[in-house]
Amino acid sequence: MTTTAATVGLARELAGFVGAEFVTEAAARVAEFAIDEVVPRTVISPASPQQIAAVMKYAGANDLVVVPAGGFTHQHTGSIPDTIDILLRTERLKDVEHYDADDMMIGVGAGTTLAEVEQIVGPHRQMLPLDAPQPERCTVGGALAAAAHGPLKHAYGGLRDYCTGVRFVTADGKMAKAGAKVVKNVAGYDLMKLLIGSYGTIGIITGASFKLFPRPRQMRTFVAEFASMAEALVFRNRVMCSPLAPLCLEMVSPHAQVMMQESPKSGETRVGHPAPKPGEVRVGHSTGETRAGQSRIKDSQTWRVLVRAGGSDAVLARYRAELGSAVAREVDGEEDRELWRRVTEFPRVLFERSQNAMLVRVDVALQDVGPVLEATERAAIDNNFVCAAVGRIGVGALLVGLAPIAAEPPSAMQYVNAASFLRGVAPRDGSAIVLRCPVEAKRHFSVWGSTPNDLETMKSIKHVFDSKNILNRGRFLF
Amino acid sequence: MPASAIAKELGKIVGADHVLERPEDVMLYEYDGGLSTGTPEVVVFPTSKEEVSQIARLASRMKVSLVPRGAGTGLSGGSIPRAGGIVLVVSRMTKILEIDAANRRAVVEPGVVNSDLSAAVAEHGLYFAPDPASQRASTIGGNVAENSGGAHTLAHGVTVNHITGLEVVLADGRVVQMGGKPVDSCGYDLTGLFVGTEGTVGIVTAITVKLTKVAEAVETLLAIFNTVDDAANTVMSITSDGITPVALEMLDGKTLRCVEEATHAGYPMDSGAVLLIELEGLREAVTEQAEAVRAVCQRHQAREVRRAANEAERQLLWKGRKTAFAALGRLAPAYYTQDGVVPRSHIAKVLRYIETVAQKCNLQIGNIFHAGDGNLHPCILFDLRDPDQVERTHRAGKMILQYCVDAGGTITGEHGVGMEKNELMPLLFSEDDLAVMKRVHDVLNPQSVLNPQKLFPAPRSCRETNIADAQRGRR
Repeated sequence: MTTTAATVGLARELAGFVGAEFVTEAAARVAEFAIDEVVPRTVISPASPQQIAAVMKYAGANDLVVVPAGGFTHQHTGSIPDTIDILLRTERLKDVEHYDADDMMIGVGAGTTLAEVEQIVGPHRQMLPLDAPQPERCTVGGALAAAAHGPLKHAYGGLRDYCTGVRFVTADGKMAKAGAKVVKNVAGYDLMKLLIGSYGTIGIITGASFKLFPRPRQMRTFVAEFASMAEALVFRNRVMCSPLAPLCLEMVSPHAQVMMQESPKSGETRVGHPAPKPGEVRVGHSTGETRAGQSRIKDSQTWRVLVRAGGSDAVLARYRAELGSAVAREVDGEEDRELWRRVTEFPRVLFERSQNAMLVRVDVALQDVGPVLEATERAAIDNNFVCAAVGRIGVGALLVGLAPIAAEPPSAMQYVNAASFLRGVAPRDGSAIVLRCPVEAKRHFSVWGSTPNDLETMKSIKHVFDSKNILNRGRFLF
Repeated sequence: MPASAIAKELGKIVGADHVLERPEDVMLYEYDGGLSTGTPEVVVFPTSKEEVSQIARLASRMKVSLVPRGAGTGLSGGSIPRAGGIVLVVSRMTKILEIDAANRRAVVEPGVVNSDLSAAVAEHGLYFAPDPASQRASTIGGNVAENSGGAHTLAHGVTVNHITGLEVVLADGRVVQMGGKPVDSCGYDLTGLFVGTEGTVGIVTAITVKLTKVAEAVETLLAIFNTVDDAANTVMSITSDGITPVALEMLDGKTLRCVEEATHAGYPMDSGAVLLIELEGLREAVTEQAEAVRAVCQRHQAREVRRAANEAERQLLWKGRKTAFAALGRLAPAYYTQDGVVPRSHIAKVLRYIETVAQKCNLQIGNIFHAGDGNLHPCILFDLRDPDQVERTHRAGKMILQYCVDAGGTITGEHGVGMEKNELMPLLFSEDDLAVMKRVHDVLNPQSVLNPQKLFPAPRSCRETNIADAQRGRR
């Protein structure tokens, strides 16, 4: 099916399912949807789960590889696709299946963006606590597939905690659902958990239901500054053992802070921030909290912990008292929102700064955050990268960026070595997924790394959901 | 294969002292906390994953059903053998393998009793959040199988929200790892998928749980209303006002009168409903929220809002809730507790509907429930010796669950499907939905050796036999 005639045939066949105006095979158009330089043969935008089911049945019968796609905010994750016959966009699945503000539940189509959900629930002073990057583009379906999260994960948990139901189409074209539209349900297997973080390899998510939460009336962020990561983590432990229950507890590494502050508006590529010399990263001291009034450490050496709190003036006053002198400043209102936008958009800032950067999602136990970050700093220096990290240090979910120092792109082996070093330090049940890196590097290593989940069990489950392996072939862990 | 032969093989694995086969012994394992019964042929008590694995291999080889069991406190028949065979009890697997306070995790064997874990980690200011009413008896293994809830799930979530890793023995005896201490991991979330599978895809042998920090302050309020509608509207206003209680429980008039007679907790005999509202967190936040709750209650014509001034008063306010089922039990020889869920905005309506069902079926139904979640526990009182009452009880139960589903809810919020509601699954799920779910079952438990005839409706041809069996099994 690689001849031009066959391709023309494919578009025509697909037009029969979704309508000719929602199928394209024009070279210029499909090129926009390339993933790791693999250009899809066709791009389609079905209007309904029924149309998707028809497409999937056809794809299965003809051994065509289907790649589901939302807002393209997470498509850079994964191994290089074997081939893409059909790139299936969910952009037209925007139905609001259910929303009653009194129920504090919403069900929407997979193509609904996070910003659109916000527009629906925001006026009712409610929120979906999914503060993933690029909310204007990121869709509900894509966020589920990639198990996306943001700083609010600290207080509200992840999608696995507040997604209560899911609708999807299987690889063999069955429309199915699991879960429910209410906050509590244990009827049936929890296929939400299977689909969340499955990167489009189990089924095509067409819609989902979520618990909503009241939006805090007032939010304020306390910014604490430290001369070393070790001190920042001591502070983290102290906050976690205190009675405080912040909305976010985020660490920003010195280089991440510099990048976020200088978040470039122009396309200028700026590389070459000096890496800290090994001696500059002080480790193992717990007494060096910065005193108020003391001169501030330079940004390029300062580790920040951001504590975002919601509540009344009395509650915020209590935070101030508990957090004490480690807090260098407080921000609220628009400044608070802007600060968290920058934290959330760290991945975008990283790649605007350097197209050749590598972004790693690290998931570890709380007390492994320090050792893993220290190791990453060392690996970065050894391989000519600058390490910049932000992370949910209260849950052990980090985003680690490695930006090349030199103007010319590093060799593929330098990416491989840096990732390998990081993974070598991570404990056995930890994960270090390379979310994004140059395609050349991807050819030399697994972006997924090791997994604490039994491989044979995962493979057998994948097989019963997609026996012909037509969903995202070649891109996942196995 | 005769029971004695199975018992002999099991004895080789765990020692003959840890196998039961005499009818008077095995009959102790034919029931749970609900109404269903089923007698095992053999009961076995392993102590390790190796033994569990060997037992699974044996059961698969002999094609004998294997049903895991914790403390037997379940309410949907999850641990009851439907096809005789082996019941595997985890009561000898009670080790807390690790307490890792710095990482907020513990690793436990499945037989550890829920409240024992909280007691063991209390010195660190931590506890295990899922709090099913059975928590002093029920095991964490059982909580994992059923994805148990409890009164405080409104804020803390159900069991799955507190499990990050599992070690599981599959039907073929393979011991597999899922997750670990981190909240997320590379690959499919097998841990999340496994929790709530009701013993139908594997037997858990080690569990990594999250530990939660004990809150600095707790406020417990009891609001008394003249009508159920006022109480129901209060529930909706509390949540929509942005107040986030950790528990929000309702008892209707019938129930609270029974409770008062039994426990003398001080509930007014003529009130229509009471709400038990608990807040926890930072002292300042709790104080403010308590005031806000009081204001909402008064806006909805609460005739009185009581506040527990100390732990003893708090326990007294909870006593009525915790003893409610037992108190209702004084009115009839048996009761049947439903577990449907409705969207919060339907609480008043569903309670009115339950009242009409009670009249139509000529039964007494008390309502005790997790109002904040919309998770109903209508408690239908009846006499098991009267077949007509039994039939009416089941009819009433089904009518209520149908209503829950029609209102956009579900048939079970925390008790599980088991053998109690497996034939009701089609109310909620299409044939395709169930067929797709069943793929997970069939690939991990292909011979249906593990906990057969549960959770999924029986194929049409077998359905009548199952119903007959279930009825024969009832006490």
